Amino acid sequence: MAFHFRKGLNICTDAGPRGGIGVPRHVRTIAMVGDDYPGVTFDLRVADGDAVAAGQVLCVDRHRPRVCFVAPVAGRVSRIKLGARRRLELLEIELDGDAALAFDVDHAIQDATALRDVLLESGAWTSFRTRPFGLVPDPECTAAAIFVTVTDTNPLAPDPVSVVAPCLPQFKRGIDALLRLTTGTVFVCQPPGAPLITVQDRVKVAYFSGPHPAGLAGTHIHHLLPASRQRPVWQIGYQDVIAIGHLLETGQIMATRMVSLVGAGLAGPTLVNVPLGANLADLVKGQEHAQSLDNLALLSGSVLLGREAAFLRRHDVQVTAVERNLRANGRRPFWHRFLDALPRADSSAVVPIEAFERAFPFDLLPVPLMRALAVGDIDTADRLGCLELLEDDLALLSWICPSGSDYGALLRHVLNTLSQEVST
Amino acid sequence: MTRQIGYLPVLWDSNRIMAATWVALLPPVFMAAVERGQNIVAPLVLALGLAVLWPLLFAHMRRRAMDWNGITTALIFVVLLAGPVPLWQQGLALSFGLVMGDLIFGGRGRGFLSPAVVGLAFLLFSFPGTASGAQGQSIVIAAGVGGAILVMAGLLSWRIVLGFTVAIGALAAFSSPEKAWETLQSANLVLGLVFLVGDPVAAACTNAGRWAYGGLAGALLVLLGEIAGVGALATIVFAALLASIFAPLIDQIVIAANVRRRARRQVDG
Repeated sequence: MAFHFRKGLNICTDAGPRGGIGVPRHVRTIAMVGDDYPGVTFDLRVADGDAVAAGQVLCVDRHRPRVCFVAPVAGRVSRIKLGARRRLELLEIELDGDAALAFDVDHAIQDATALRDVLLESGAWTSFRTRPFGLVPDPECTAAAIFVTVTDTNPLAPDPVSVVAPCLPQFKRGIDALLRLTTGTVFVCQPPGAPLITVQDRVKVAYFSGPHPAGLAGTHIHHLLPASRQRPVWQIGYQDVIAIGHLLETGQIMATRMVSLVGAGLAGPTLVNVPLGANLADLVKGQEHAQSLDNLALLSGSVLLGREAAFLRRHDVQVTAVERNLRANGRRPFWHRFLDALPRADSSAVVPIEAFERAFPFDLLPVPLMRALAVGDIDTADRLGCLELLEDDLALLSWICPSGSDYGALLRHVLNTLSQEVST
Repeated sequence: MTRQIGYLPVLWDSNRIMAATWVALLPPVFMAAVERGQNIVAPLVLALGLAVLWPLLFAHMRRRAMDWNGITTALIFVVLLAGPVPLWQQGLALSFGLVMGDLIFGGRGRGFLSPAVVGLAFLLFSFPGTASGAQGQSIVIAAGVGGAILVMAGLLSWRIVLGFTVAIGALAAFSSPEKAWETLQSANLVLGLVFLVGDPVAAACTNAGRWAYGGLAGALLVLLGEIAGVGALATIVFAALLASIFAPLIDQIVIAANVRRRARRQVDG
C-alpha cells in the first residue's frame, strides 16, 4: 500500500539531523507532565523526597489502577505540583544513581495476558494512544488495529528510518508484541523504501510520502482504517515500539529517546539521546551561541506542533528553540509591520479560503469542521468526523487560519466532552 | 482559545487578507479613475468616508478594535457603479450594505453575504432604472489582473471561476454563441465574478460546493440576463446574491454526502 499526498504544506524544507544514533546528553532533572495524558486522574504512589528506581511506579490511573506511570530514571522526587482540582500537573525527579527495576518478561514471551501485565507495570502501556479521543487505552480493551508511525514530516524532525535501523531487532520484537494486543492488523507506516519488516498475515507495511501532515498517524489511520467509537484503534510511535522490544529483551525499561534538537541560536540540528521528560533548559545549556537563554523560547515538539514547555513531553521527539518576541525584531518587511500596526479585531472569524483544503489530506471538510469547533458545536463536529482527529492533525489549519484560533485546543475540549459521554 | 503567537511567523491574518484584496482592487480602481476622470472623485470620497464611519461606529458601540474591510466594500461598490447615480442614493445603498450585509453580523466572515452585493441589490431594488453605465475594455483587463492576483494568493477559488465560466459557456452556447462570448467579456461580469461571486465569505466553503456554487452563479446570470432581461449590473448582482443565499444549502448537501461516504467506509473497512 503506497500513498502519496499532494495536499499538505511543508513549512520548512531544511533537512533535520542526520543519522540514527544520538549523542547522549546529560540532564539534571526530568519530569512527568500530567497534561500528556488527557482524561487520567492520577493517584500518587510516591511522595516528595522519595528515592525512586528506574521503572518504579510513580502514580496510577485512579479509575484503572493497572495503568502505571513509572519513573524513567533513578533519582529523587524533587517536586510534585498539583493543579486545578488537585490534578497532578508535574512530577519532577532529580537524577541520582542508576538503580533500575527488573521486570519478569519470561512469561510475556508466550502468554498474552502476561505481556499485557508487563507492559502495564513497566509503564510502556502509556505509550499507546487511542483513536478516537487520544487517551491511554483501557487495559482490558483490544484494539481493532495498531498503527506504528515510522514517519515524521514535522519540520526538522529526526529521520525515523535511520533511528530504527540500528535497533531493528528490538523493533521487530516490539512489533511481534503488538500483534498479541490486537485481533486485527498491525500497520507499519513508513516512508517509501525498503520495508522495515517482513509482511506477514497480520502485519502490513504502508508507505506514505508527501508534505506535512503525510507523516502523522492521523493521516495514516484515516486512509487505512478510519477510527470510530465502534472501531477504536491505537497508535504508537516508532521509538516506543523499540522501547517495548528492548523491555522484552532485557527486562529493563528503555527510558531514553532520540530527540532532534533544532532551532534559532543552536548549533545546527543535532540528534541527542535523552531521557523521557528531560529538562529542556539542561538540554540546550552550552549549545546556544550569540544569545542567552532568556531570548529563546524552548518548545517541546516542532515549531508547528510544539508548545513552550520546561520538560520534554511524552510523545515528542523534537525540541525546538525559537526566538522569543518575533514581532519585536526589526528584520520583518515594512508592510508586515504596517499591517500589524493597524488596529484589528481581537479574534476574527474564519475566512473560508481554499488554502485549508490544500493543506488537509483528509476526506473531511476542514472549514465546516473548524467552524463547528470554533463555536463549540459538539454534535456537528462529531458528525464531521472530529473523532478521527487529534490535536496535531489540526496544527497546520490553526497556522493558516487568519482567525488565530487554536483548533487543536478546541478539538481537545470537544473530545474530552465526547469521551465522557461514552463512559457515562 | 487562541494560538500562541510569535513562534512561527503567520501566513495570513485578517489584515493581510484585506491588504491582498486591496492590491487586487488597485488596477480596476485605477482604470475606472482613468475612464471616468473627475466624476469618480465625489463617489469615491463618499464611499471611503462611509466605509470608515460605519465600522468605527460599530467598533465604538461594541468596544472592539475596528477593522478596515469596509474600504474593500466601498472600492468594489464604486468600481461597479459606473452610471450617473445621485450621491445620496449611493450613500444610502452603501450604508445599507455595510451595516446589514456585514456589521450587524459582527464583521467580516461572520455574515453570509458580500456587503457590496447587499448594497448594490438595495440600490437596484429601491431606485429602479439605475443606469448601469458602460465600462470599457480596460476595466475588463484590470479586473482580470486583480482576479489573477487573488487566485494566486489563494483568496479567490479557481473552482468558482471555472464553474462559473463553464456554466455560462454551456448555457449560452445553446442560445447564441456570439452573444455568449460578448457577455464573458463584459466588465461588470468579470468584476462581479472576481469581487462579488468570488468573495470567499459569501461563497460555498467546501471544494465540491465551490464548483456547484460557481456553476449556479453562472447559470443564474444567463437566466437573468437572457430571460428576465434586466440590466447588465442587475444581472450580475442578483446572480451573486441568489448564489450566496444558496451557498449554505450547497455546503449542507456536500456535508451530507461526505458523512454518508465516511459512514460507508466504516462498514467496508
